[in-house]
Amino acid sequence: MEHLNYQFSRDHEWVKEEDGLTWIGISDFAQNALGDVVFINMPEVGDEVTAGDPFGDVESVKAVSDLVSPVTGTVAEINEELLDSPELLNSAPYETWIIKVENVTETEELLSAAAYEEFCETEA
Amino acid sequence: MSELKRTQLYDVHVAAGATMVDFGGWEMPVQYPEGIVSEHLYTRHACGIFDVSHMGRILVEGKDRFAFLQHVVTSNVGALELNRSQYCIIQAPDGSAVDDAYLYCFEEDNLWLVINAANIDKDLAYLTPLLAGYDCKLTNISAEWACIAVQGPKSKDILTELSGGEPLTVEPIKNRLNIVKLEGRTARIARTGYTGEPLGFEVFVKSEDVVWLWNRLVELGAKPAGLGARDTLRMEAGLPLYGHEMGVGPDGKNMPIFAVPLARFAVSFSPQKGDFVAKDILAKQRAAFVKIMNRDFSAIEDLPYRIMPITLLDRGVIRAGMEIYKGDKQVGWITSGTMIPYYIAEGEGLESVITDAVAKRSIGMCYIASDTLVDDIVEVDVRGRRLKAVIPESHLSLEAPPFARPLIYGTELKKLEAPVGDGLAKALTLIAKAERNHLWRQTECINLIPSENTPSRAVQILSGSDPNFRYAEHRKTKAFYDKDIFYYQGTKFIDETEQLLVEEMKKYFGCSEVETRVTSGQMANTAVFSSLMDFKNRLDRKNDPKRLGYVMNNHIIRGGHLSAQPMGALHDFIAIDPKTEQNAVVNFPVLKDNIYKIDVEETKKLIDQYRPEFIIFGKSMVLHREPVAAIRQFVDEQKIPTTIMYDMAHVLGIIGPSFQDPFAEGAEIVTGSTHKSFFGPQRGVIAVNYKEDELKYELWKTIERRVFPGSVSNHHLGTQLGMLMAAYEMNTFRKEYQAAVVNGAKCLAKALADEGLAVEGDPAIGYTETHQVVVSVGYGQGSEVAERLEQNNIIVNYQATPDEEGFTASGALRMGVSEMVRFGFGEAEFKKTAALIAACIRGEDVKEEVKKFRSEYQTMHYCFDDKTVENALDHLAGIMGR
Repeated sequence: MEHLNYQFSRDHEWVKEEDGLTWIGISDFAQNALGDVVFINMPEVGDEVTAGDPFGDVESVKAVSDLVSPVTGTVAEINEELLDSPELLNSAPYETWIIKVENVTETEELLSAAAYEEFCETEA
Repeated sequence: MSELKRTQLYDVHVAAGATMVDFGGWEMPVQYPEGIVSEHLYTRHACGIFDVSHMGRILVEGKDRFAFLQHVVTSNVGALELNRSQYCIIQAPDGSAVDDAYLYCFEEDNLWLVINAANIDKDLAYLTPLLAGYDCKLTNISAEWACIAVQGPKSKDILTELSGGEPLTVEPIKNRLNIVKLEGRTARIARTGYTGEPLGFEVFVKSEDVVWLWNRLVELGAKPAGLGARDTLRMEAGLPLYGHEMGVGPDGKNMPIFAVPLARFAVSFSPQKGDFVAKDILAKQRAAFVKIMNRDFSAIEDLPYRIMPITLLDRGVIRAGMEIYKGDKQVGWITSGTMIPYYIAEGEGLESVITDAVAKRSIGMCYIASDTLVDDIVEVDVRGRRLKAVIPESHLSLEAPPFARPLIYGTELKKLEAPVGDGLAKALTLIAKAERNHLWRQTECINLIPSENTPSRAVQILSGSDPNFRYAEHRKTKAFYDKDIFYYQGTKFIDETEQLLVEEMKKYFGCSEVETRVTSGQMANTAVFSSLMDFKNRLDRKNDPKRLGYVMNNHIIRGGHLSAQPMGALHDFIAIDPKTEQNAVVNFPVLKDNIYKIDVEETKKLIDQYRPEFIIFGKSMVLHREPVAAIRQFVDEQKIPTTIMYDMAHVLGIIGPSFQDPFAEGAEIVTGSTHKSFFGPQRGVIAVNYKEDELKYELWKTIERRVFPGSVSNHHLGTQLGMLMAAYEMNTFRKEYQAAVVNGAKCLAKALADEGLAVEGDPAIGYTETHQVVVSVGYGQGSEVAERLEQNNIIVNYQATPDEEGFTASGALRMGVSEMVRFGFGEAEFKKTAALIAACIRGEDVKEEVKKFRSEYQTMHYCFDDKTVENALDHLAGIMGR
């Protein structure tokens, strides 16, 4: 599976490097725990994000959850499709990026896919 | 923490993969694998089932059970008859809610009080000490019984399959109940629910049967829905949840009961309630509420905040607890809110189609300053951001069953496209369109609307001649021995023709007096109802006049005429029964095996019980004769003082041996419309059979006064002239026409049945005894089929049958044959008509065939077709409009 090449934060974001940018999304475990995602708040292009700090939030029918950035850098792109179709985060979490970050200066310690799976088991 | 409680369905939920959560001490499914959004949508378009076995079921017994409940809940429990349920609030002494609850009367000797799961212990602890002095016992029977809420447009079909076709509740109306066998197991069914669905049931079964019922419902197409969807559904429907819209408010104070919109219906101050808990405080709240609704905010401190719906206009999601602002001033809090999905509808009105496309909106409810009005724009603090929101009237409409329809704030209907050009161009367009319409309806369509008839050419031309533009008022004057005195000059011809019309109509009815000035059947009814009330109060003019009560009529869902209902012409004349706090109307019971026919024996029992002062026969969906003679005989024998009227709106034109003779059978008053089965232009008529020496002749005189000056001044003199010609035609051709109509309807009914359509009524009598035929086309399909028939030039009414919930749920077509009989249709033609209808319903395009068929029947029958009449009419028409 493609996402086996992704890395994961302990806040359930996935991270991958492509086209010289850092792509960030949420894991399958996260979307499952959230339930139906009905709304997303995202930063604007050019905003600074900081590793360990929220860069937005996702809302399910039941609750709001922060999106915690695994990296420090500048937002290069946001996935505008999610503004109208946040449910993509449920149906295809690994194909659906939320933001792409450039000028990354710091990255928190990330887990491999296998390690993340183990981490989730202890969480559940 | 104590161990969580589980319902009888716990294992079923876990096996289905539900996410279980702690809900008020209960381990309940918040959602199943498909998720809240999908469960919400499935309930709205098909059927969701909800385990509500966690709710508390309290058996209330003892001879003082009503007295006790009147004291401790807000509703008028005295109105709770067998097989009815009632929403109520258990009020605290400070006028806030201990809980909200539902009362069910499934059996004569006990009531069930159903309360919120989290409040069971609290409610019982509150209620038990209040039992002192009452012969009344409360027993928690929650463990013995389980309950499944079956909600959504398919819920009725699914449960009816389990009941083997038996009706689920005594009437297809909210809050009605019944005890029914579902595949051999006893179920207590209520038309209640917490989703806002127009079709929804709560089914109570013994604990050991609930897993079976759940699985059967799933097999039949229902889908499990959890507490998450239950919350979004009730929020969209604007229904309060204890702990959010009731109980302790976001300001930390107890919320007054009248803050909740439902309080208007749930709180009664009926004298029957006596001195109930918090009566004075609730009365104060109600007084403040009434002022606030009248936009008088002088008592706002008694009700500072109210629960209202709220819609977020900016992007985002509102959640309970968020603060609401107008400018810098905080005006309230969100009490419930989230993002709620809905299916997008395309098109407008009855033709609007619910698509598969899903959208979402952030809506909820708020506790907001009581001077807030609908359409007020406010701001919500959504985690530090101020987002724009609005107070809508409501989020959902239940008015068009079987679907609950979302009301999207700001939706505007398309404006009619005005014709282009100057006045001349508009005039020409109008004339051309009128001509097209005339030719279409008069020469190309098979017209089967039972309320219509095309008048003869003579009636049409006379109706449009000079009196159509004149003015007349007249009144019998004692000083001149009751000679009619006219108030306008130039009216001698009008006076003469009106007197002739009255005489012709007396001959037609075989009665003593006729009033022809009313311009519609509805006006005829209004004038009679007003007269009865005036007659009732004639000896006491110094007090407020008393309204009529009880009145017996046909229920509108069983075909009763709209204008004989409290929502129609009875509106201003019907009393409120203080016991039920509803209109003092009692409906004719119908036969179990023929819901189109009055059950005479049961009717007698009800007459004996209610002693109605007024009995109104007559219907707008009418297949049978009304039992006038039997009821007349009964009330005479029993010496029950009453007035019997027959509203013959539909069947006026078939009075006689082919149908029935109301006055000979004992009716005192007959009203009608002159243009349905009769030959007239559109007017009304009132006939009575009182003789001058009878006491009730005074009622007749009252009727004349309530017509003029009570209802009309100028009484549409053109159509009155046309009506005289119609009366001549009817009195000349009556016998043949009436036989042809009743026979034609039987022919059409039989032919439709032979085509495989589900014709309503009793086949043993040829389905109908009137001009009408009713055909079932499938629940909720009526309007769609009627529209398709119209596109094929066959014009019928869609109609709700007695077990359907309203006009949008109509599953039947109502047809009448009178107009086509006049155009020469007989047995062969109605057979052909039935074949065309059946083909069209099957999906075939029959428009051209209908046009061709209809083109062969262009001559009006049962009218004067002598050449001399033709010539005279040509001459008259030739000088008109010059």
